[in-house]
Amino acid sequence: MNSFKRWGIATAGTLAAALALTACGGGSGSPAQSSSPAAASSSAASPAELTFWGWAPGYSDSVKAFNASQSDIVVKFEEIQPGSRGGYEKMLNAVQAGNAACLGQVGYETLTSFAAQGALEDVSQFANANQNEYVDFAWNSVKVGDAVYGAPVDTGPMALFYNKELFKKYDVEVPTTWVEYKAAAEKLQAADSKIKISSPYANYDYAGLSWQAGAPWFNIEGDSWKVSVDSDENKKVADYWQSLVDADTVASAPMYDPAWFKGLGDGSIATLVGAVWQAGVIKGDAADGKGKWAVAPMPQWDAANPSVGNVGGSATAVLKGCETPEAAWKFANFLSTDADSYGNLIEKGALYPAAKALLELPQLTKEDAYFSNQKIFDVFKEEALKVNPEWTWGPNMPLTTTKLDDGLNKSWAGNGKMADALTEANTATVENMTSQGINVTD
Amino acid sequence: MLKRDGLGLSAPTMVFDPFTNYLKAFSDPVFIESLGRVLLFGVVQVPVMLGLATALALLIDSHSARAKGFFRLTSFLPYAVPGVIAALMWSFLYSGSSSPINALLEPLGVAIPFLSEEMVLWSVANIVTWGWTGYNMIIIYSALQSIPGEILEAAKIDGASAWKIAWNIKIPMVRPALILTTVFSIIGTAQLYNEPKVLQSVSGGSIDSAFTPIMAAQAATAAQNYPYAAATSVILAVLVGILSITFFKITNRGSDS
Repeated sequence: MNSFKRWGIATAGTLAAALALTACGGGSGSPAQSSSPAAASSSAASPAELTFWGWAPGYSDSVKAFNASQSDIVVKFEEIQPGSRGGYEKMLNAVQAGNAACLGQVGYETLTSFAAQGALEDVSQFANANQNEYVDFAWNSVKVGDAVYGAPVDTGPMALFYNKELFKKYDVEVPTTWVEYKAAAEKLQAADSKIKISSPYANYDYAGLSWQAGAPWFNIEGDSWKVSVDSDENKKVADYWQSLVDADTVASAPMYDPAWFKGLGDGSIATLVGAVWQAGVIKGDAADGKGKWAVAPMPQWDAANPSVGNVGGSATAVLKGCETPEAAWKFANFLSTDADSYGNLIEKGALYPAAKALLELPQLTKEDAYFSNQKIFDVFKEEALKVNPEWTWGPNMPLTTTKLDDGLNKSWAGNGKMADALTEANTATVENMTSQGINVTD
Repeated sequence: MLKRDGLGLSAPTMVFDPFTNYLKAFSDPVFIESLGRVLLFGVVQVPVMLGLATALALLIDSHSARAKGFFRLTSFLPYAVPGVIAALMWSFLYSGSSSPINALLEPLGVAIPFLSEEMVLWSVANIVTWGWTGYNMIIIYSALQSIPGEILEAAKIDGASAWKIAWNIKIPMVRPALILTTVFSIIGTAQLYNEPKVLQSVSGGSIDSAFTPIMAAQAATAAQNYPYAAATSVILAVLVGILSITFFKITNRGSDS
């Protein structure tokens, strides 16, 4: 019982302290403001202050550059967890609680879901003037209807990252079609059973593969949604990767896991079909692969009609409740279009610009020692032009991808069929949307 | 609950409808399954862990024990490792590509599928047992320390063996400590989250997003369905309350007789 008593006292003490603190805050705030006219007048002239939540490497330097470039606005950068690892939850919860930052880094894939939560501020009245500075597909990604919710920063055209040394050693041609890719997988596997062509793709990395194949997950038809995660086109993609799993040519290490970086470095994982920014990820965390890797165009379904997918890319979105949306837009536009600050983002994070004028930046023509001195952005420049423009994200992507991952993870491990994973994700998504009253057509 | 209309691209409206989410939770096979999984986990793991903890406490408390301090410390040490770190460490021990256990067993032609769908729950149970046995042992051990020496001496003079003393005197006397640790363990079981969450990424799909009720609630939160997450959390809290009270009642009835 003694311990219970102590608990009670401790709790009461904490409560009292908390009350005292809030009382102080409430009491001292207002007289301080009114009693000193000097402070009040200086605050009228003082610059607008706003906070920016993001995680991309190099963002903090861009913020410094912006703050140095003018004196009207002061931006404070706070690094948060990457979106899918908690950053988005933080933003949404903060918007609900009314204490969110003015700006947040939001991936295109999540932007629609954020809009559907009413978590974004429409800045079209400031932003539309800058529309022509951005490539069309990226601009469409920050628009929902007529509302513009932020500035697109980068895009994620895909390509084939491959271990050049390995392909050379076993005399395997770099695949240009998916049929050749499978043949390469089997040839490498036959040469050394430890070499796997790839590793499991989940959620948005997997979506890139569907995107390329012209197998959309969502479409808007009139005023209702069409969900097609398990369409025939999507099943074709799933069955292809299923056949690679069945042939035991896919590693077990999940992407971004330490085991995955080890595999990329030591040559037991031979390729990664991924987005431009993943160059930065593997350079940073699979340092052992330095000088061995190279980049080639993405394998095609139909070599005569090349098409490329997009993974990721994000916007600087204006979050609901921002009191200085014009200042927020000014900074967002700067981050995406300022040549000096963007050059740094390319070097640190391999971000590929969404602004047209930046596509000629000198940083995009540099040789990269990690990729055996290849000018990798030359490849992405070509690929970016082939990105399939037909893709729409759904209104509740966290739900769709969670359900999809539950199934996909099983099938990558050989405990289920990928086509079934698609069907389950499709069913759950439709169920979720209809139960909330959203129109869905078959 | 959340209501939207049309394309659902504007902010949802909240409709106060207190029962829909509860009804939905009780008819949601995913949530029910996660509850059942945790119940099964608790029924097996809690007795095993407390049995081990009691046995350890009795051994360290016994007269013939040597190096008490050393054993007390080593069995308690795992508790000092933060849960997430421990789970990360075990994920290396379990996962196919890095498991030293399976590497040792390889020459014998055996590989333990720690993360297979059948075994993964017990692999998680192993982590929890490893982490918490020492903690519970300390509580039981302190209770053992407070047993008056005269009672034990009297029993010894009467010719009771060490086994008899342990079974007939020591264990009944540390009953309050055992009840306390059991209730803590029931609550701990309901809160199962760290270990499965960390193992999820290497489990090859054996651990899905709704493996435990808390993970299910978190998935609902991530999917921005706060009302449903809240409803499932309330259900979980109420169930734990009922279980704990029931356990207290049962054990109290025993002591009255």
